[in-house]
Amino acid sequence: MRRETEIERLYDGHAQPLFAFLLNFTRDEADTRDLLQEIFIKLAREPELLAGVRDERAFLIRLAHNEAIDLMRRRGTRDRTKESFAAEANSPFAPVRDPDEKFFRDELAVALAELPEEQRAVVHLKLWEELTFEEIAAALDIPPNTAASRYRYGLDKLRDRLRPLHEEMKKAE
Amino acid sequence: MMNEETEQLERRLSRQPLRQIPAEWRAEIVGRASSLSPSVKARKIETGKMPVLLSICRDLLWPHPRAWAGLAAVWVLIFAVDFSMRDTSPVVAEKATPPSPEVIVELKQQQRMLAELIGSSQPRAAEPPKFLPLPRSERVEILMT
Repeated sequence: MRRETEIERLYDGHAQPLFAFLLNFTRDEADTRDLLQEIFIKLAREPELLAGVRDERAFLIRLAHNEAIDLMRRRGTRDRTKESFAAEANSPFAPVRDPDEKFFRDELAVALAELPEEQRAVVHLKLWEELTFEEIAAALDIPPNTAASRYRYGLDKLRDRLRPLHEEMKKAE
Repeated sequence: MMNEETEQLERRLSRQPLRQIPAEWRAEIVGRASSLSPSVKARKIETGKMPVLLSICRDLLWPHPRAWAGLAAVWVLIFAVDFSMRDTSPVVAEKATPPSPEVIVELKQQQRMLAELIGSSQPRAAEPPKFLPLPRSERVEILMT
Protein backbone atom coordinates (compact mmCIF):
# COMPACT_ATOMS: atom_id res chain seq x y z
CA MET A 1 0.00 0.00 0.00
CA ARG A 2 1.25 3.48 -0.87
CA ARG A 3 2.62 5.54 1.99
CA GLU A 4 0.80 8.80 2.75
CA THR A 5 2.91 11.82 1.90
CA GLU A 6 3.42 14.73 4.25
CA ILE A 7 1.24 16.96 2.09
CA GLU A 8 -1.56 14.41 2.12
CA ARG A 9 -1.32 14.15 5.89
CA LEU A 10 -1.48 17.93 6.26
CA TYR A 11 -4.37 18.19 3.83
CA ASP A 12 -6.40 15.46 5.51
CA GLY A 13 -5.72 16.89 8.94
CA HIS A 14 -6.28 20.59 8.31
CA ALA A 15 -7.87 21.36 4.93
CA GLN A 16 -11.48 21.29 6.19
CA PRO A 17 -11.09 23.89 8.98
CA LEU A 18 -8.87 26.02 6.74
CA PHE A 19 -11.51 25.86 4.01
CA ALA A 20 -14.25 26.96 6.39
CA PHE A 21 -12.12 29.76 7.83
CA LEU A 22 -11.06 31.04 4.41
CA LEU A 23 -14.57 30.78 2.96
CA ASN A 24 -15.95 32.76 5.88
CA PHE A 25 -13.17 35.29 5.44
CA THR A 26 -13.19 35.70 1.66
CA ARG A 27 -16.80 34.75 0.89
CA ASP A 28 -15.63 33.45 -2.42
CA GLU A 29 -15.21 29.77 -3.24
CA ALA A 30 -12.72 30.37 -6.08
CA ASP A 31 -10.60 32.61 -3.86
CA THR A 32 -10.76 30.02 -1.10
CA ARG A 33 -9.52 27.31 -3.47
CA ASP A 34 -6.71 29.54 -4.75
CA LEU A 35 -5.64 30.40 -1.21
CA LEU A 36 -5.71 26.77 -0.11
CA GLN A 37 -3.65 25.85 -3.15
CA GLU A 38 -1.11 28.58 -2.33
CA ILE A 39 -0.87 27.41 1.27
CA PHE A 40 -0.23 23.77 0.36
CA ILE A 41 2.22 24.69 -2.40
CA LYS A 42 4.11 26.81 0.11
CA LEU A 43 4.16 23.89 2.55
CA ALA A 44 5.37 21.53 -0.18
CA ARG A 45 8.09 23.88 -1.37
CA GLU A 46 9.28 24.83 2.09
CA PRO A 47 8.77 21.80 4.33
CA GLU A 48 11.06 23.42 6.90
CA LEU A 49 8.25 25.92 7.65
CA LEU A 50 6.66 23.38 9.98
CA ALA A 51 9.90 22.36 11.62
CA GLY A 52 9.67 23.04 15.32
CA VAL A 53 6.03 24.13 15.13
CA ARG A 54 4.14 22.91 18.20
CA ASP A 55 0.59 23.60 17.06
CA GLU A 56 0.22 22.88 13.35
CA ARG A 57 -3.40 24.05 13.27
CA ALA A 58 -2.61 27.44 14.81
CA PHE A 59 0.34 27.86 12.44
CA LEU A 60 -1.76 26.99 9.39
CA ILE A 61 -4.59 29.30 10.44
CA ARG A 62 -2.06 32.08 10.80
CA LEU A 63 -0.67 31.30 7.36
CA ALA A 64 -4.19 31.21 5.90
CA HIS A 65 -5.11 34.48 7.61
CA ASN A 66 -2.01 36.22 6.24
CA GLU A 67 -2.64 34.90 2.74
CA ALA A 68 -6.29 36.00 2.90
CA ILE A 69 -5.33 39.50 4.08
CA ASP A 70 -2.80 39.76 1.24
CA LEU A 71 -5.51 38.76 -1.21
CA MET A 72 -7.91 41.35 0.20
CA ARG A 73 -5.25 44.05 -0.07
CA ARG A 74 -4.50 43.08 -3.65
CA ARG A 75 -8.15 43.32 -4.51
CA GLY A 76 -8.61 46.61 -2.68
CA THR A 77 -11.85 48.00 -1.41
CA ARG A 78 -13.57 47.89 -4.80
CA ASP A 79 -14.67 44.27 -4.42
CA ARG A 80 -15.67 44.51 -0.78
CA THR A 81 -19.06 45.98 -1.59
CA LYS A 82 -20.08 42.81 -3.35
CA GLU A 83 -19.39 40.76 -0.22
CA SER A 84 -22.82 41.22 1.28
CA PHE A 85 -24.48 40.28 -2.03
CA ALA A 86 -22.34 37.18 -2.33
CA ALA A 87 -22.78 36.21 1.29
CA GLU A 88 -25.72 33.96 0.70
CA ALA A 89 -24.31 32.31 -2.39
CA ASN A 90 -20.95 31.66 -0.70
CA SER A 91 -22.29 30.81 2.69
CA PRO A 92 -19.81 29.03 4.95
CA PHE A 93 -22.63 26.89 6.34
CA ALA A 94 -23.82 23.50 5.19
CA PRO A 95 -27.05 23.49 3.17
CA VAL A 96 -30.21 22.46 5.02
CA ARG A 97 -33.73 21.48 3.96
CA ASP A 98 -35.69 22.90 6.86
CA PRO A 99 -36.88 26.36 5.69
CA ASP A 100 -36.63 28.00 9.12
CA GLU A 101 -33.17 26.68 9.70
CA LYS A 102 -32.15 27.64 6.16
CA PHE A 103 -33.43 31.17 6.71
CA PHE A 104 -31.49 31.43 9.97
CA ARG A 105 -28.27 30.18 8.35
CA ASP A 106 -28.65 32.56 5.43
CA GLU A 107 -29.24 35.48 7.79
CA LEU A 108 -26.28 34.41 9.89
CA ALA A 109 -24.09 34.23 6.76
CA VAL A 110 -25.12 37.77 5.81
CA ALA A 111 -24.63 39.03 9.36
CA LEU A 112 -21.15 37.50 9.48
CA ALA A 113 -20.28 39.05 6.12
CA GLU A 114 -21.22 42.45 7.54
CA LEU A 115 -18.69 42.12 10.35
CA PRO A 116 -15.26 43.66 9.85
CA GLU A 117 -12.77 41.02 8.72
CA GLU A 118 -10.79 41.04 11.96
CA GLN A 119 -13.93 40.45 14.07
CA ARG A 120 -15.20 37.80 11.67
CA ALA A 121 -11.94 35.88 11.92
CA VAL A 122 -12.04 35.87 15.73
CA VAL A 123 -15.73 34.96 15.88
CA HIS A 124 -15.17 32.09 13.46
CA LEU A 125 -12.22 30.68 15.37
CA LYS A 126 -14.02 30.96 18.71
CA LEU A 127 -17.39 29.59 17.67
CA TRP A 128 -16.52 26.98 15.06
CA GLU A 129 -12.94 26.02 15.84
CA GLU A 130 -13.52 26.30 19.59
CA LEU A 131 -10.15 27.93 20.16
CA THR A 132 -9.38 29.81 23.35
CA PHE A 133 -8.56 33.52 23.20
CA GLU A 134 -4.91 32.64 23.80
CA GLU A 135 -4.94 30.25 20.84
CA ILE A 136 -6.74 32.79 18.65
CA ALA A 137 -4.24 35.43 19.70
CA ALA A 138 -1.36 33.14 18.76
CA ALA A 139 -2.95 32.22 15.44
CA LEU A 140 -3.75 35.78 14.39
CA ASP A 141 -0.69 37.38 15.98
CA ILE A 142 -2.68 39.72 18.23
CA PRO A 143 -2.82 40.15 22.03
CA PRO A 144 -5.35 37.89 23.83
CA ASN A 145 -7.24 40.98 25.12
CA THR A 146 -7.66 42.22 21.56
CA ALA A 147 -8.95 38.80 20.52
CA ALA A 148 -11.47 38.86 23.40
CA SER A 149 -12.68 42.39 22.65
CA ARG A 150 -13.02 41.67 18.94
CA TYR A 151 -15.09 38.62 19.79
CA ARG A 152 -17.38 40.59 22.11
CA TYR A 153 -17.92 43.35 19.54
CA GLY A 154 -18.57 40.80 16.81
CA LEU A 155 -20.96 38.76 18.92
CA ASP A 156 -22.88 41.88 20.00
CA LYS A 157 -23.40 42.82 16.38
CA LEU A 158 -24.58 39.32 15.51
CA ARG A 159 -26.93 39.30 18.47
CA ASP A 160 -28.46 42.63 17.50
CA ARG A 161 -28.81 41.52 13.91
CA LEU A 162 -30.25 38.08 14.68
CA ARG A 163 -32.18 38.81 17.86
CA PRO A 164 -35.71 38.89 16.32
CA LEU A 165 -35.07 35.69 14.44
CA HIS A 166 -33.44 34.01 17.39
CA GLU A 167 -36.37 34.96 19.66
CA GLU A 168 -38.86 33.64 17.17
CA MET A 169 -37.07 30.32 16.81
CA LYS A 170 -36.71 30.03 20.57
CA LYS A 171 -40.48 30.39 20.98
CA ALA A 172 -41.09 27.80 18.27
CA GLU A 173 -38.84 25.34 20.09
CA MET B 1 -20.40 39.16 32.42
CA MET B 2 -22.15 37.55 29.53
CA ASN B 3 -25.92 37.33 29.89
CA GLU B 4 -28.02 34.28 29.25
CA GLU B 5 -29.34 35.50 25.92
CA THR B 6 -25.84 35.90 24.53
CA GLU B 7 -24.83 32.47 25.80
CA GLN B 8 -27.86 30.89 24.14
CA LEU B 9 -27.07 32.64 20.89
CA GLU B 10 -23.45 31.53 21.16
CA ARG B 11 -24.53 27.91 21.59
CA ARG B 12 -26.95 28.17 18.71
CA LEU B 13 -24.36 29.67 16.40
CA SER B 14 -21.68 27.14 17.26
CA ARG B 15 -24.14 24.33 16.44
CA GLN B 16 -24.48 25.53 12.84
CA PRO B 17 -22.58 23.02 10.71
CA LEU B 18 -20.02 24.43 8.33
CA ARG B 19 -19.84 23.57 4.66
CA GLN B 20 -17.66 20.63 3.69
CA ILE B 21 -14.68 21.15 1.44
CA PRO B 22 -15.40 19.82 -2.09
CA ALA B 23 -13.92 16.31 -2.31
CA GLU B 24 -12.46 16.88 -5.79
CA TRP B 25 -10.19 19.64 -4.48
CA ARG B 26 -8.02 17.11 -2.67
CA ALA B 27 -6.57 15.48 -5.77
CA GLU B 28 -6.05 18.84 -7.45
CA ILE B 29 -4.41 20.64 -4.52
CA VAL B 30 -2.38 17.71 -3.19
CA GLY B 31 -1.28 16.72 -6.70
CA ARG B 32 -0.11 20.20 -7.59
CA ALA B 33 1.60 20.77 -4.26
CA SER B 34 3.30 17.37 -4.33
CA SER B 35 4.65 17.93 -7.83
CA LEU B 36 6.35 21.11 -6.61
CA SER B 37 7.90 19.66 -3.47
CA PRO B 38 11.72 19.57 -3.52
CA SER B 39 11.84 15.87 -2.58
CA VAL B 40 9.79 14.91 -5.64
CA LYS B 41 11.95 17.08 -7.89
CA ALA B 42 15.04 15.45 -6.45
CA ARG B 43 13.58 11.99 -6.94
CA LYS B 44 12.77 12.75 -10.58
CA ILE B 45 16.36 13.76 -11.20
CA GLU B 46 17.76 10.75 -9.38
CA THR B 47 15.85 8.32 -11.56
CA GLY B 48 18.03 9.39 -14.51
CA LYS B 49 21.09 7.66 -15.96
CA MET B 50 23.69 9.43 -13.82
CA PRO B 51 21.98 10.04 -10.48
CA VAL B 52 25.10 10.85 -8.49
CA LEU B 53 26.51 13.30 -11.02
CA LEU B 54 23.15 14.98 -11.50
CA SER B 55 22.61 15.15 -7.80
CA ILE B 56 25.96 16.90 -7.37
CA CYS B 57 25.18 19.26 -10.24
CA ARG B 58 21.81 20.01 -8.72
CA ASP B 59 23.34 20.81 -5.35
CA LEU B 60 25.92 23.07 -6.96
CA LEU B 61 23.69 24.86 -9.40
CA TRP B 62 20.41 25.01 -7.56
CA PRO B 63 20.82 28.37 -5.80
CA HIS B 64 21.28 30.38 -9.06
CA PRO B 65 20.72 28.08 -12.05
CA ARG B 66 20.40 30.93 -14.56
CA ALA B 67 23.61 32.58 -13.45
CA TRP B 68 25.45 29.28 -13.71
CA ALA B 69 23.95 28.57 -17.11
CA GLY B 70 25.06 32.03 -18.30
CA LEU B 71 28.56 31.44 -17.02
CA ALA B 72 28.67 28.05 -18.73
CA ALA B 73 27.52 29.63 -22.00
CA VAL B 74 30.31 32.23 -21.77
CA TRP B 75 32.89 29.49 -21.25
CA VAL B 76 31.54 27.51 -24.19
CA LEU B 77 31.83 30.65 -26.33
CA ILE B 78 35.41 31.23 -25.18
CA PHE B 79 36.39 27.63 -26.01
CA ALA B 80 34.66 27.84 -29.38
CA VAL B 81 36.54 31.00 -30.30
CA ASP B 82 39.80 29.47 -29.08
CA PHE B 83 39.37 26.29 -31.10
CA SER B 84 38.37 28.14 -34.23
CA MET B 85 41.53 30.23 -33.98
CA ARG B 86 43.70 27.13 -33.49
CA ASP B 87 42.26 25.57 -36.60
CA THR B 88 43.15 28.52 -38.81
CA SER B 89 46.77 28.97 -37.63
CA PRO B 90 48.30 25.87 -39.45
CA VAL B 91 46.49 26.86 -42.62
CA VAL B 92 48.11 30.25 -42.46
CA ALA B 93 51.49 28.61 -41.95
CA GLU B 94 51.01 26.29 -44.89
CA LYS B 95 49.92 29.06 -47.18
CA ALA B 96 52.80 31.34 -46.25
CA THR B 97 55.67 31.47 -48.82
CA PRO B 98 58.96 29.88 -47.67
CA PRO B 99 61.65 32.40 -46.70
CA SER B 100 64.25 33.28 -49.32
CA PRO B 101 67.89 31.94 -48.99
CA GLU B 102 69.06 35.46 -48.14
CA VAL B 103 66.70 35.61 -45.23
CA ILE B 104 67.83 32.20 -44.04
CA VAL B 105 71.49 33.27 -44.22
CA GLU B 106 70.69 36.46 -42.37
CA LEU B 107 68.78 34.57 -39.69
CA LYS B 108 71.63 32.09 -39.26
CA GLN B 109 74.10 34.93 -38.93
CA GLN B 110 71.97 36.59 -36.28
CA GLN B 111 71.61 33.30 -34.48
CA ARG B 112 75.40 32.87 -34.53
CA MET B 113 75.97 36.36 -33.20
CA LEU B 114 73.49 35.79 -30.47
CA ALA B 115 75.13 32.53 -29.55
CA GLU B 116 78.50 34.24 -29.41
CA LEU B 117 77.14 36.97 -27.22
CA ILE B 118 75.46 34.60 -24.85
CA GLY B 119 78.12 31.98 -24.85
CA SER B 120 81.09 34.37 -24.53
CA SER B 121 81.73 33.30 -20.94
CA GLN B 122 81.14 29.59 -21.75
CA PRO B 123 83.29 28.51 -24.67
CA ARG B 124 81.64 25.91 -26.83
CA ALA B 125 84.23 23.22 -27.23
CA ALA B 126 82.10 20.93 -29.28
CA GLU B 127 81.72 23.37 -32.12
CA PRO B 128 84.31 22.80 -34.88
CA PRO B 129 86.29 25.78 -36.22
CA LYS B 130 84.59 27.32 -39.12
CA PHE B 131 86.10 28.55 -42.36
CA LEU B 132 85.81 32.25 -42.64
CA PRO B 133 86.12 33.62 -46.14
CA LEU B 134 88.60 36.47 -46.26
CA PRO B 135 89.56 38.84 -49.03
CA ARG B 136 92.51 37.64 -51.14
CA SER B 137 94.82 40.41 -49.88
CA GLU B 138 94.35 39.27 -46.31
CA ARG B 139 94.89 35.66 -47.32
CA VAL B 140 98.23 36.61 -48.84
CA GLU B 141 99.24 38.38 -45.63
CA ILE B 142 98.45 35.29 -43.66
CA LEU B 143 100.48 33.08 -45.98
CA MET B 144 103.44 35.39 -45.81
CA THR B 145 103.45 35.41 -42.03
